[in-house]
This record gives sequence, C-alpha cells and structure tokens, in this order.
Amino acid sequence: MPDLGRAALVTAFLLLVYASVAGTFAAWHSRRRLAQSAQNALIAAFGATAVAAAVLLAALARHDLSFTYVAQHTSRELPLGYTLTAFWGGQEGSLLLWLLVLGGYSVAAVLTARRVGREVLAWVVPVLGLVGTFFALLLVFVASPFATQPAPADGAGLNPSLQNPYMAVHPPMLYLGYVGLTVPFAFAMGALLARRTDERWIVATRRWTLAAWAFLGVGQLLGAHWAYVEIGWGGYYAWDPVENAALMPWLAATAYLHSVMIQEKRGMLKVWNVLLVTLAFCLSIFGTFLTRSGIIQSIHSFTQSSIGPWFLGFICFITAASLALIFLRLPLLRAKTRLESLVSREATFLYNNLLLVALALTILWGVVYPLLSEAVTGEASTVSKPYYNFFLHSFGLPLLLLMGIGPLIAWRRASLRALGRTFLWPTAAAVVAGIALLAAGAGSSRVGVIAYTFSVFVLASIVLEFARGTSARKALGGVGWGGAFASLIARNRRRYGGYVVHAAVVLFAIGVAGSSAYQTVREARLHPGDSMTVARNRLVFRGFESSTQPNHRAIRANIDVYRGGEYLGRYRPGKNQYFAEDQVSNEVSIRHDLLTGADLFLIADQVNSDGSVDLKALQKPLVNLIWFAGFIFVGGSLIALWPDAREERRLAERYEGATMRA
Amino acid sequence: MARRGSPARLIVALSVAAVLAVFLLYTSIAGGGTPSLQPSQLQGHTGRVSLVGLVAGQATGDAHAGGLHFMLRDRHAMTSVPVVYKGSVPDLFKTGREVVVDGKLWNGTFVAVPNTLVTKCPSKYAPKK
Repeated sequence: MPDLGRAALVTAFLLLVYASVAGTFAAWHSRRRLAQSAQNALIAAFGATAVAAAVLLAALARHDLSFTYVAQHTSRELPLGYTLTAFWGGQEGSLLLWLLVLGGYSVAAVLTARRVGREVLAWVVPVLGLVGTFFALLLVFVASPFATQPAPADGAGLNPSLQNPYMAVHPPMLYLGYVGLTVPFAFAMGALLARRTDERWIVATRRWTLAAWAFLGVGQLLGAHWAYVEIGWGGYYAWDPVENAALMPWLAATAYLHSVMIQEKRGMLKVWNVLLVTLAFCLSIFGTFLTRSGIIQSIHSFTQSSIGPWFLGFICFITAASLALIFLRLPLLRAKTRLESLVSREATFLYNNLLLVALALTILWGVVYPLLSEAVTGEASTVSKPYYNFFLHSFGLPLLLLMGIGPLIAWRRASLRALGRTFLWPTAAAVVAGIALLAAGAGSSRVGVIAYTFSVFVLASIVLEFARGTSARKALGGVGWGGAFASLIARNRRRYGGYVVHAAVVLFAIGVAGSSAYQTVREARLHPGDSMTVARNRLVFRGFESSTQPNHRAIRANIDVYRGGEYLGRYRPGKNQYFAEDQVSNEVSIRHDLLTGADLFLIADQVNSDGSVDLKALQKPLVNLIWFAGFIFVGGSLIALWPDAREERRLAERYEGATMRA
Repeated sequence: MARRGSPARLIVALSVAAVLAVFLLYTSIAGGGTPSLQPSQLQGHTGRVSLVGLVAGQATGDAHAGGLHFMLRDRHAMTSVPVVYKGSVPDLFKTGREVVVDGKLWNGTFVAVPNTLVTKCPSKYAPKK
C-alpha cells in the first residue's frame, strides 16, 4: 500500500513536470497538439494525486500504524471521524490536501474556462503545473506522507484540541480558499505571457476567485467560532500570526474582487489588478509557509520542520518572476481610459482598494516584525493587540463608510447636487442613530459609536438601493413587490449578491464592535452560596459536581443565573481532566440571548481545593450577529456565484464578436 | 495615456503618504513593539518585555490571590528567573511547557502583567530531537 501511494505521488510529480515543461514549449511555439497533451498531463496528475489521497485515507481508516503518518497523528481508540480528519492534522497530509485541491481547481478551471482563448489557456496550464510541481516535489522528496516504520503498539493520538467537529470543516475550508487563489493568479500570468491583456482572463476566472474568497472567509469565521466556544478565553480572534496568515490573502482578494470591476467596466487599473492577484497568491503561499514552518512564534505553532526554506525560496521565485513579467508587459497594460474625478464610483473603488491593501500590509508588517527587528537590532520584538487594533480602526472604519458610498455614487463623475440627493436619507439615518446611541450611553467607546453610525449609514444605503431597484422593476408592470424584488436580484446577481455580502460585513462589524467595545468582564472568587453581578445578571455559585467519564474526569461549577429576580437557568462551566493525555481543558458555558444577540460567557478559571471557584463572567453584547453574518455572507456569495444564463449569453456575444474582429 | 495630472496617480501618492503618516504616528506614540526575550537575556531590560521560556520546577501559590510563583528557564540553557503571575492560567500550563508572558524584571523577580500568560503547543507535536 505505501508503495502505491509513493508511486502515485511520483507519477503526479512527473506529470506535473511534463505539464510545465511541455506546456511552456507548446505555448511558446504555438504547438496546439503538444499544448493539449500538457493539459491532459495536468488532468492526469489530479487523478494520480487522488489515488495517493485515497491510499492515505484508507491507511487512516484501517489504523495502519506502519505508516509513520498514521502512527504519529492517530491512535487506535480515536473515533473514525477524527481518524479521517487526521488527514489534515499533520504536515505531510496537509501538503497532500493542498496538491489535491490544486489539482481539482486546475482541472475544473481549465475545462470550464475555454472562453479565455486558446493562447492564454496554453500558458495557464504550465503555470498551474509549476505550482503543482512545487508541492509534488515537497511530497516526494521532503515530506512524504507514505514513510513507513515497524508498526508500534499504538499511535501517538490526535491533539485533544483538534478532536472537535470543527476540525472536519475549518481546515478544508481554509485550504479551498488558499489554494483557490492560484486559479486567478495562473490565468493572470497566462494572459500576460500570451500578451492577451484584455479582461477575458478576469471574466473567465471570476467565479473561481469568488468561490475561493468565500471559502477563505467562511473558513476564518468557522475558526473564530471554534476558538470562541472551545478554547475558552472569551474571544474569537487574537491577532495570532496563524490567524493573520488567513486574513491577509482574504483582504488582498477582497480588494481584487472590487478592482476587477473597474477593469471590466472602464478598462482601467490593469497593472494594479495583476499586482493584486499576485499579492493575494503570494500571501496565500506565505500563509501556508507561516503555519507550516514554525518560523514565527504562534500559539498555534504546528510542527516545526525543514520545509521552511523551500517555501521561502518558492515565494521569492514567484514574486520575482511575476513582477518581472508584469514589468515586461507594462506597455500592454496601459489603461484605455482615465480617472475623471476624485468623486466617482471608480475613485471610491480605488480608495477601498488602497485601504484594504494598506490593512493587509500593516498586518504583514506586524507578523514579520519579530524577524525584521531581530535581523536589524539583534533582538526580536513583537507587536500585539494594540498595534493591530490601531490599524483596524484607522483603515477599517473608513472602509466601512466607503461601503455605503460606493454602491450609490455615480460612475465617472458625481456632481455635488446629485451627491446631496443620493445620500440624504442614509446620512439622516446615520445622524439620528448616532444621536440615539449617544443618548443611550454608547459614548463610552468612541470607536464603537463611529462604527455603529457608519453601519447604519451603510445599511440604509443598501436598503435604499434594493428599494429603488424593486420599485423601478415594479413600474415596468406585471409583477407585485415580491416578484419585482426577485427579478431584480435574478437579473443582476453579481451586484445584488455583492450588496448582501456588504450587509453581512456590516452585521459582522456591529457584532465585533458590540462584543469588544461594550463587553463587561467580572471576576470573583466564589464560595458555595456566594454571588456576583455582571451586566444585570446575578450569578450564584451552588457548589461543584464531578463525574468520571471513560477518558476524563469532569468537574462542573453549578451557577444559577438570575436577572431582576427572574431565574434564567443553571449554567455549568468547568474543567475536564483527560487521563491519557494528562491534560486539562476548560469547558465554558455560554448563555445565548437570541433576542438581543448577547452572550453571557462563563469560565471556571480556577477550581480551588477549599470548594471555591474563581469565576470569570463576560457579558458580550451582539456577539451572535457575527455568526449570523456568516450565514448572510454565504447567502450573498451564493447569489453572486449562481450560474446566470443571461450573463453567459451576453459574454458569448461580446467575446465571439471580439474574436471575429480580431 | 497622459502622464501629467492623472488623478489616479495623485490618489495613490496621497494615500501612500497618508498611510505612512498614520504608521509613523502610531510608532511614535506607541513605540516599536515589545522585545521578546529568554530569561538569560533579561538583564539590563527595565521596560516591559515578553518573556519566553520553559516552566521549570513546581509552580506554587494561587494565581487568583497572592500570585502564582514559578521559574522560567531558557529553551537550551539552564539560566532561569523566578516569575510571579496573577490571572487566568491556560489549560496547558505545567512543568516543562513553553510559555510566553509579558512583564517587567523587578528586584530579580519577573513581575508579570495579569492575564498575559500564554502556553505553546505541547512538545509532543514538536519535532523529535
């Protein structure tokens, strides 16, 4: 069995090398049949990778401990579900997953993106092949998942903190996101290499980019929720390097999703777009490097290993090669039109892009700061939460505001009078909301009030857009309000899906601001019968209760919660003591208030031998909006992604016409 | 494309300037970051630092009353420093684990900032030496 896995990987490696070399040659000399053969090799490499993945999966399922990987990441009593998720619990398996997902994306993108033109596609294949070759090289020569050993009596087991249902979805989602960003990158490079710098490569990869971006976003939210309910410190994001590693490419991809619209509509920002897609791709490789090399101290710190230098070399190569290519093609990337005014839709998109990139780069600076400061001063320094929060506020709040302005402002040039008319209602709503918030005592956090005022502005402008569009549709006659609304969305899925995503981002911002700027934290040592108060909740400690489970002993503090004399129920935060792993884990107890979106978050911080508990209680207003926003985000992304026959026809006419003229 | 007076260029130039200004403003107000040190490098540092080390010996005391007392030593040397800490203690904290904690050296004892103790992954998942 391990031989089959190894052979499959070697085959995949050779096929990918062939796809890169033969593909380059074919594209260079316009050899159509050779190009087809390179493309077939790329597809076959995906098949070989799938065989390797199946071998590893089978070994995991059979608890075949003669596989070093299986022995190191599972144990015999580990439930089947977690045994299978150990596929991506370690380094070698993660790399295999990378290659597998890349193969899947490559095949799907190459087979569906015929409209991009044969010349471009001929170059896309070797670019995808090259990226694949790198990962296959690592899997064959550096970190093989098929290393064998004499089978030990039992495996080392999976880290208890990974034994969680989120383990089944969070890492694969992130991978689908990270890896998916390869597709627009490869097509951008293909277009440059083929000297076809029109917007066809963007149109051809639009859905792939959107899907990768949505997966990356959802993956991060799932990770945040995992941290929130399981790790038990009362937060969901800690600006840890590994968390930032996923956030940076997402921000760059968000900027890219917006700026390509300018190129499609107005033929501008061509250089910027290829730079952005390169940045997003490099950041996604950098993210994989960060999580896998252990070069920067992180609470996640996965296996430290020898693959770090390989990744660094690959990142340097990709960056240098793509920048050189962009530089060589600069004459072809001249814009057809110019920005006419600083107050226009185009300009707003540009501001949004600059803010997103600035945010991504300041985060990058924070992440690599320990390395840079050590290189310069000989002493590593780290930046922490205040640094990141400062830049999140400086760049994030203007971004939030722009989200309300962008969709309403006119293309090309907006007059002041038109601006006044367009923004009258959103501005009025925001001012009223601001005054109401200050009156309600939200002024305790200036950032919070600003965030909420901006949020109301954005929501009002989104509602206004939907209302205007719907009434215009209804005016065409023949449909009711519901029908007009549905056909509005169906006729321009991308635009209205985008607005729904905007609404999700606003809800997310409201949740984040509420749960961080307005949270209340109280700590106290309670003996049985003692009570404490947090944000109108009275918590009474009724003593401990303990039970013995097969693999752990559970201790729970019984906490009765009252509000204004009304009994709200018994909550049981505590600790689990795992025997085999000799490890303690915090088990938090959360009371969700679905009406207000607030959580009462209880942590039994310390269990004392005299029968008292050190209880930490957090009241987190509106925190549930963050998770709710996740569903809206998925919904909006799906609307924007949904296949659209009308759009297809329009594009077909446009590009077939263009080909005939050319 | 006319190069003179393109608003796009103006925007980019102004934005880059604005970002740099914001950045400088931040570093001048908040300083450059917290030095990350091992116990043997502590001498001579009076400001707030981030201390990285392995927990040595048994931890004693009460993190929620008088403070938890423990020793931290270098990863690859025996130099160690006594630490006193108050606040939440992570689940994974125990002898031999690698931890990070912020604080200041005061009279030979590292006085930690409350609630800054973070543990790193158990050594089981680190490479075999």
